[in-house]
This record gives sequence, C-alpha cells and structure tokens, in this order.
Amino acid sequence: MKPEERQNAGIKNRPSAHSLPMFHRVLKATPETVRDALGAVRARFRDEVAGDTLGRLELVLAEVMNNIAEHAGDHDEPGRILRPPLVHLWVVGHDGGLACALSDDGTSLPAECLLPRDLPQIGSEDLPEGGFGWYLIQDLTQELCYYREGSRNFLAFRIPPCDVAG
Amino acid sequence: MQFVVQDSESHLLIRVGEARIDAAIATQFKDRLRAIVTRATKPVHLDLQHVDFMDSSGLGAVIAVRKALPDHLPLVLQALTPNVERVFRLTRMDSIFDIRPATPQEVQRQ
Repeated sequence: MKPEERQNAGIKNRPSAHSLPMFHRVLKATPETVRDALGAVRARFRDEVAGDTLGRLELVLAEVMNNIAEHAGDHDEPGRILRPPLVHLWVVGHDGGLACALSDDGTSLPAECLLPRDLPQIGSEDLPEGGFGWYLIQDLTQELCYYREGSRNFLAFRIPPCDVAG
Repeated sequence: MQFVVQDSESHLLIRVGEARIDAAIATQFKDRLRAIVTRATKPVHLDLQHVDFMDSSGLGAVIAVRKALPDHLPLVLQALTPNVERVFRLTRMDSIFDIRPATPQEVQRQ
C-alpha cells in the first residue's frame, strides 16, 4: 500500500467515505482578531457543515475566545489589557460533529466557569446584562473538558451535528 | 455603526444595518441605541433582519437598551435571523421580549 492509499484506506479497509476539512489558527485574542477567526472558520466549513451546526459552532467559539480576550490577558486595570493572550484554535470535522480544541497562555480559567450552571435569574425588574456566556458554552457543547499545564490553558469540546435539544 | 430610524405614528422603527453584534461593537451599539431610545415617547421596534450573528455581549447590549427605555414603553424585536433567534431562545430571553416576524410591508422594502 502506497502512503497515499494508506491515508485514504478508512476503517477496516473501506475507503473513507467522507473527510471534512480542518482548521487551525494562532491569534492574539482581541475582539477584532476573534471576529476575523470566526469568519475564517465559517468559510472553511460552510460547504461541508449544516448551517445550524455552523451557527452553534460560531456562537460557542465566540463565547470562549471573547472570554479569553476579556479575562485571560495581563491587565493593569479592568478593561486595559497589556498583552492579549496567544490562542491556538483547532476545529476538526468528523461524523460525531465538530471537535474543537483551544490552548492559550493567559491566566487560569476560574473553576466556577465549568461547574454546572443555570441561567442568571430573570426578574422583570432588573434584567441581567451578562453571565450568559458559560451557560451557552455548556448548553451547546458535549465532552467539555479543561486542564492547565504549566502556563497554558487547554479547553476541548465537541459540537454535535444536529441540535438534539431542539 | 449603521442604524436607520423611522418615526411612524404608532412606533419608532430602528433598523440595524450591522451584520454582527458581537464583543467588538457591543459597547458602541449599546451606547448609540441608548441615546436614541431614552428620548422615545412611543414603543420602539428594533428590526434585526440584517444581523446574521449575535453573541452574549450583543444580547447584553439589547437587554441594556430595553432597560434604557421608559418603563411603560415596550421594545419589540422583529425579523430575527436563525443565529440571533437561537441566542434569545437558549437564554430564555424570548420570554422577556416581544419577538415578531417581519411585517410584509417591511420585507418588501428591503
């Protein structure tokens, strides 16, 4: 078997029916670079992935990367970031959906972000204007996992192919 | 930041011309719209048909705009695209806002 045949051999000698593109980008996380990266992800998977799945992917990646841009960088006062974290983003399509991994050199993710959470309390008097991001991430992903190694954060999850939750 | 404001007898219609309401422009979006709606004397209809994407910071901005309206005036959201509708549905903000499809006249005028 030639190397190129081996790459296309698939499982149990069946030719792999379908291979999806993958995506990798390194970015210094700011709201503008996050926007650019999301546009590139969309362009990469647009022809291969259903619009609904792509919409959920884009929302989750926006929440994760904007959270990194806003909270994980070194700052001298709230809102003034001295050094944006350097983020590696990988997205790989497969039959089980879109597998995503992110690594960054920012500060640790607070443990509470990953604890099961509810929506912020909705009172008609005083509506919350924030606190939705990690709820959306948890709601739209499966197999969400996080660890810190040395000075880097690693976050991985999967976006399922169809919206089973409705 | 693109808005078109149309004053009709029954309400103030604000068409949002931005394709994305995300962290890059949420603060500007909120400040600009708040300046318009705090002076409102009739219900405000926010037309979002051109908005393809909204994240939680964009949602927070729309909530802030609603809070900036005088208490007795409603903020109606109309013509949500699927990505925008999803954010409101998943956060259950669809139960707080009056969300309506585009009216036939407004679709024609696109």
